Amino acid sequence: MKGSASIGRKEATDAALMDGAAQFSFRSERGLLIARDLGNAIIGLLVVILLWWGVAELMMFLRGVAFPTPPETLIALWEALMGADINGESIFAHTSASLGRWGQGYFIAMIIGLTLGMAFGTLPRLYDVGMIPVYVFQMIPGLAWIPIAMLIFGLGETATVFIIAMTAIPPLVINTAGGIREVPTVFTRVARMSGKDDSAMFFRVLLPAASLSIINGMRIGLANGWRVLIAAEMIVGVALGLGFSIYMSRYDLDFTSAFVCIVVICIIGLAIEKLLFVSMENRVRHRLGLDREDLM
Amino acid sequence: MTAELRNVSKVFTDPRRGKGLVALKDVSLRVEEGEFLCLVGASGCGKSTTLNLLAGFEAPSQGEVTYQGERVRGPSPDRGVVFQEFSLYPWMSVLQNVMFSLQGKERQEDRAMEQLRLVGLEDFANSRPNDLSGGMRQRVAIARTLAMGPGLLLMDEPFGSLDEQTRRKLDNEVLKLWQRERKTVVFVTHNIDEALMLGTRVVLMSPSPGRIEKEWRIGLPWPRDLSSPEIVGMKAEIISRLQACPCANGAPVSMLGFDEEGT
Repeated sequence: MKGSASIGRKEATDAALMDGAAQFSFRSERGLLIARDLGNAIIGLLVVILLWWGVAELMMFLRGVAFPTPPETLIALWEALMGADINGESIFAHTSASLGRWGQGYFIAMIIGLTLGMAFGTLPRLYDVGMIPVYVFQMIPGLAWIPIAMLIFGLGETATVFIIAMTAIPPLVINTAGGIREVPTVFTRVARMSGKDDSAMFFRVLLPAASLSIINGMRIGLANGWRVLIAAEMIVGVALGLGFSIYMSRYDLDFTSAFVCIVVICIIGLAIEKLLFVSMENRVRHRLGLDREDLM
Repeated sequence: MTAELRNVSKVFTDPRRGKGLVALKDVSLRVEEGEFLCLVGASGCGKSTTLNLLAGFEAPSQGEVTYQGERVRGPSPDRGVVFQEFSLYPWMSVLQNVMFSLQGKERQEDRAMEQLRLVGLEDFANSRPNDLSGGMRQRVAIARTLAMGPGLLLMDEPFGSLDEQTRRKLDNEVLKLWQRERKTVVFVTHNIDEALMLGTRVVLMSPSPGRIEKEWRIGLPWPRDLSSPEIVGMKAEIISRLQACPCANGAPVSMLGFDEEGT
């Protein structure tokens, strides 16, 4: 092994070519790569903010409406974080109420979705029958769950949690069942050949082999449940929740507060996606041995 | 006699498209104790189907498959398979992969290490399969299958995806294992040289529908010389028979959806 961790990539490459070395090492460029990823993320966010700002200014000019601009919203967000009320409650109360409902709905969805997904994935007949309702439910838009939820539970927390769960379940079932069904035949044949029983087959072969797909379902389910908040909180019956506040803004015309809530929803959603799921997926990828590069 | 196919036919049907394929037609084959049987033939001639029937992954449409006098009803550790494709569990270490196939609970780790030693990979016990080269992966797959202690070793083009150099090296290792362990081996390959270098018997199959064309017993000792007159003669005959069949010029022999070669 030529080179060292203290010289740059270009020098090390040149030196290796000169000396005829087969392998060499150089100073890691990890910092640079992270900085580049961060830079790209910031540019992406700037695109969103500029689009928003452009539309806001255009609407104020064309229609004379008070469209909240990014600076106005950020100031309002800051004030809200400092304790200003939105719809009579602090932003923290709204956020924790929403997170609580979402957590309950998602928890229920996980139990039902994973159980059904595993059953469908292993039993072909059940899959053929059971996937039809799942696809039907998946097609029902968030708002359309409102009458159903009201008829079953009336106004209240339970109805809200129900809507969140119902939108999170289908992707969990689809991805869990699909992941298990797509496990390569050779993997199951190895287990059968060595005389494994059904439970060993399931827990030691099918589940690990399908885990990336299952995580993907968990991720889509989580996002679905979060995005349906506004619809779900329309019938919550209490004046609390991010979705409820956005919904209320159409009555009291406090659009800046609505935008503050939208921003909070986006930030929380992005944080969960990027911090929780990306790291979880990387861990699983690593465990599955899928993160190795062919460079020995 | 170890294993036997008696008048076996295997038909694959696709009910959706309303099409059927006769992969094997009235095939009878006796695998004798301790022999190294090579199945050769063009793709689609039913070599892999024959192997899957012996392994118990497929059931015959007609006829009977037996092992040690008993009808084969499914896969069993008695009949170990080394697969063509990548079959190691990537989420397990090399050692865990071998341990997965061990029968019985006692001294699992020692016994798995012993198998890895046989294929010369004891230093890679804690590596992940994806960190290994193609040749090393197949050696682990062999160790895993041998760990089950099978009486019959079924190998489905085990080195088909490897380069020539590595393939020859692994062929020799398999030969040594066979000579030492006195197992019965059924070895599927499309490589005629490989079959002639290894087998005590070479069975040529031909497609559409899959059947046994001819077989040769080879009494020559190992290592064999590919340029010896007996081998050259057999090779010439096999090649001329292969070219006589319609598949040799690239005509489709298997229908879409019936890819019984397992690709």
